[in-house]
Amino acid sequence: MEQLNANGGAQITAGAFSFHSRPCCSLTCTQERVTFWSLVLLCFGVAIGFTVQGYWLVLPFAGLEIGLLAWALESLRNRENNYEILTIDGDSVVLEWRIGKQSGRRELNRQWVHVQCDCSTPGRNCHLCVRSHGLETEVGHFLSDEARLKLAAVLKMQLQG
Amino acid sequence: MSDAAHAHDDHGHHAHPTGMMRWLTTTNHKDIGSLYLFFALFMLFVAGSMALLIRAELFQPGLQLVHPDFFNQLTTMHGLIMIFGVIMPAFSGFANWQVPLMLGAPDMAFPRMNNWAFWLLPVAGFFLLVSFWLPGGAVAGGWTMYPPLFIQGGISYDLTILAVHIMGLSSIMGSINIITTILNMRAPGLTLMKMPLFVWTWLITAYLLIATMPVLAGAVTMLLTDRNFGTHFFNAAGGGDPVMFQHIFWFFAHPEVYILILPAFGIVSQVIPTFARKPLFGYASMVYATASIAVLSFIVWAHHMFTVGMPVTAQLFFMFSTMLIAVPTGVKVFNWVATMWKGSMTFETPMLFAIAFVCLFTIGGFSGLVLAIAPVDIQLHDTYYVVAHFHYVLVSGALFAIFAGIYYWLPKWTGYMYNETLGKWHFWLSVIGMNIVFFPMHFLGLAGMPRRIPDYALQFTEFNQIATVGAFIFGFSQLILLIVVMKAIKGGEKATAQVWEGAEGLEWTVPSPAPYHTFETAPVVK
Repeated sequence: MEQLNANGGAQITAGAFSFHSRPCCSLTCTQERVTFWSLVLLCFGVAIGFTVQGYWLVLPFAGLEIGLLAWALESLRNRENNYEILTIDGDSVVLEWRIGKQSGRRELNRQWVHVQCDCSTPGRNCHLCVRSHGLETEVGHFLSDEARLKLAAVLKMQLQG
Repeated sequence: MSDAAHAHDDHGHHAHPTGMMRWLTTTNHKDIGSLYLFFALFMLFVAGSMALLIRAELFQPGLQLVHPDFFNQLTTMHGLIMIFGVIMPAFSGFANWQVPLMLGAPDMAFPRMNNWAFWLLPVAGFFLLVSFWLPGGAVAGGWTMYPPLFIQGGISYDLTILAVHIMGLSSIMGSINIITTILNMRAPGLTLMKMPLFVWTWLITAYLLIATMPVLAGAVTMLLTDRNFGTHFFNAAGGGDPVMFQHIFWFFAHPEVYILILPAFGIVSQVIPTFARKPLFGYASMVYATASIAVLSFIVWAHHMFTVGMPVTAQLFFMFSTMLIAVPTGVKVFNWVATMWKGSMTFETPMLFAIAFVCLFTIGGFSGLVLAIAPVDIQLHDTYYVVAHFHYVLVSGALFAIFAGIYYWLPKWTGYMYNETLGKWHFWLSVIGMNIVFFPMHFLGLAGMPRRIPDYALQFTEFNQIATVGAFIFGFSQLILLIVVMKAIKGGEKATAQVWEGAEGLEWTVPSPAPYHTFETAPVVK
């Protein structure tokens, strides 16, 4: 697998080219569970202790805080599931993606596909997209500009070859 | 990968706004780090001016400059602002700047929440400061907000409760951001036990903040309902228990003390190996010692309230558990000294502040041990001995570590070396000034001078005069820091990427100044 950067890589097997990319996530499921439940135990343990003594107003704040923590960890979990896969096999180019709650799949005819990488807008990342039949699909969300340019070159070469 | 019709993931893709809008809307961790640090520097001068006014009043016995009630307002606000407006934001500034750089992450996990966490702080600071101009003046019952005084005050007390809530919310958002960033955004290969110690100390600090903030929020809300809604949580006349507030408050506030010092340990653990040109001695033991201190911080709170009356067994428990904290702290001090031992040491300003930290924080630790002894504490409670103790911990501890961190990372932030001569002037005047202010306070306390009193008996005059002279030396020497920072921002000798010969870590692999966007491609750590 050719590594474009730590977040994405391309692979060629038996004539088919595929590119996989996903964001860097170092939090494992076990670490997430340990983090969340240790804080739940600590916060609610303390809050329930004070509640038993009659000082119950600590409890709602603990609940709100743990709610915010749960939302944060859930967001990370969603990000972890993000991916992009681009496969060129014979005459077909298949794009599959999941970004946040949006996921999709598109199959294109290789002969009509062309790749464009626009780095001309100052202050914006390079815009790398695959176009066919008037439709444009952005690729390389999790890549740096350098890696997007590299991917654009690789894709152009693969589509021509 | 998405259709053109879909919304783009646009974080960091737009042109940067300029002027005020850049700072108001920024989600960049470096910008937000700078905002935290400038806010802390501004508040340092605000709360420092209050300290100078306090010391000016105490230069002579009798009442010279300020009304006693205003004196109490000054001591209260000095404490609140220094803790919540200076030390905590300064460490948050370091965390914002350094944690992503040290982890090889492009930014914090939740950049927009990061922006909110910062911009809540000036609002809270405004509420605190504006209370001086409200009827009855600012809060005057001490930063600990003890009832019944706190229940009886004017409108500024409600405003202070609101400010504390806002600062608490800011801390919680910051902590969640830091925990998620550290756990989820480490570069491939950067395992937990390979993380720089500064990152470890912040991870543990964030845990402490999350564990204790609901307690503070609950405590001040109960004060608010006692004041305005007829509840009697802490009102003895209605069957409430004012002493219970002290338990709740210190259950929050003792871990808070470690929230103020653990990141300082982290900074010093980065600085000393760099200038000793040796790896940190006992890295794993430093991590475990930090975690032990955090755990112990939850079971020692009542040593702040030995005088309120508690069973002898409880006194013994809190006395011995407090003394136990000396063990992991001793491990840390030993490791710092062992790191320096036979090192190829040089003494640039960050290292000088780090060495001063080790020596003077240890003095603060020892006076803490003295205060941990229940029968001694009963004698020394609310005297200047306590003031001396916590200033040795928070000034020569937390603040000196902040200074060390500023000098250490300033070239990385600005791209220019700071003026070493001015830095050394700042160091020596600070160290000498600080000791002149706070060391005599040990003697004043042992002789029985009470704290938070604008007047005192004649026999305390000399030591108070010495302390006041020291305070002005220390206070005005901080202007040198301001000059050093401004000069480094404007220009000077170009800094290299590594800056310091012995510096190691991912943050030193990026150019100086660190580009606006760093590590968009995650580095691989071997």
